[in-house]
Amino acid sequence: MLEFFNYRTIWEYMPLFEEGLRNTFLISIVSLFLALIVGVLACAARLSNWRGLRAVSIAYIESIRSTPLLVQIYFLYFGLPTLGIRIPEIQTGILALMFNSGAYIAEIVRAGITSVPNGQIEAGISSGLSYFQRMRFIILPQAVGVTVPPLLGQAITLVKDSALLSMISVVELTRSGQILTSERFMPAEAFFTVALLYLVIYFFLKYLSGWSQKKLIFRET
Amino acid sequence: MIRFQNVNKWFGSLHVLNDINLQVSAGEVVVVCGPSGSGKSTLLRCINRLERIQKGKLFVDGMPVHDSTINLTKLRAEIGFVFQQFHLYPHLNVLENVTLAPIHVRGMKKKEAEELAMEKLERVGLADKATAHPEQLSGGQQQRVAIARGLAMSPKILLFDEPTSALDPEMIGEVLSVMVKLAEEGMTMCVVTHEMGFARQVAHRVIFMDEGKIIETGKPDQFFDNPHSDRAALFISKILKH
Repeated sequence: MLEFFNYRTIWEYMPLFEEGLRNTFLISIVSLFLALIVGVLACAARLSNWRGLRAVSIAYIESIRSTPLLVQIYFLYFGLPTLGIRIPEIQTGILALMFNSGAYIAEIVRAGITSVPNGQIEAGISSGLSYFQRMRFIILPQAVGVTVPPLLGQAITLVKDSALLSMISVVELTRSGQILTSERFMPAEAFFTVALLYLVIYFFLKYLSGWSQKKLIFRET
Repeated sequence: MIRFQNVNKWFGSLHVLNDINLQVSAGEVVVVCGPSGSGKSTLLRCINRLERIQKGKLFVDGMPVHDSTINLTKLRAEIGFVFQQFHLYPHLNVLENVTLAPIHVRGMKKKEAEELAMEKLERVGLADKATAHPEQLSGGQQQRVAIARGLAMSPKILLFDEPTSALDPEMIGEVLSVMVKLAEEGMTMCVVTHEMGFARQVAHRVIFMDEGKIIETGKPDQFFDNPHSDRAALFISKILKH
């Protein structure tokens, strides 16, 4: 197969792939950052003592986790304009990924927080530390260690999920493969290159995840 | 210093504290013993309000613990609590474990808190372990750090919940000798333990609990040699056997 491979065309389309890679990277970073904020807030709401807040958070998390991402993307893409909100495709895509990953991140953070043994909390209470002091000095530092590896897993998922934004014609990595295919009909070359570039991003995040697992986990012995 | 007045508490339908009346004066060392599930840990945990009492009154250093409006930070700053499982903070080193509360609850300067912590670590014989992490210490050393952590708040009362039950036999001695020293210096202590040697050496009173009630109170020698109730006699014969 490789001898039929048209490397020159790949080379010729490099600027397009570059644009795709840049957009995938940009969309992923921005959505991940926003999703972290949304996730932490949703998790705080989920763990709060106030019932209304808890119900809203559960409704958000469950509705995201029970529906396909593509449906959520279409929902925003076609739904927002009917509400009179007109924003470019890229921003719509970022919003969709933010809401989607935010729900998963909320659950990851919650698992991290609830994994801290109750005795740790009681030790903090007994020394007179307030709720926020216990969170800041005892619970969160221990939760971070177990939270970072699954968060990087979620980051990897988010990068791959961003391929779905090609469906609303955002020129990200997958879309650049589609463009090459439709202009030159070379799907093998196009998607081989696309896959290779996703692999590069994947290995980078994978490496971070391995490192964090070694450096950040503290557990009561 | 501590006064229980007709204190009751339930876990669901389980009557875990049944009409408890008890007074502990300043400088007194009280040992609480009894079979598992008798309510002795709960009794201790009510004193710093890790558990809330549901009926009756409980005063600690003049503060009404049964009252929901009291200043809990102030109450807990006066009381050191030592757990069976130590519960040192695994992400902090020994010195940071001891200085955390003095800095953030007492509002001490870091340097001042560190000097105080070193003094307390000296007292439990672990000044040389200040930069170690809890995982690098033996169980006995971890428990002594936990005691130093309690002492660093300069508490008026120290509570011990089975402090030696999770330790290997050869490490029990080092923890008990720290506790004996504290008792001899006049610290007010309530200790849930089955260590009879410790009770005989320093306790002013032994309290025997069963099924949420205080069955018997007495001087250690009298209680262990000559218990009044059959229930206590049976219990003592069992802990002597192992």
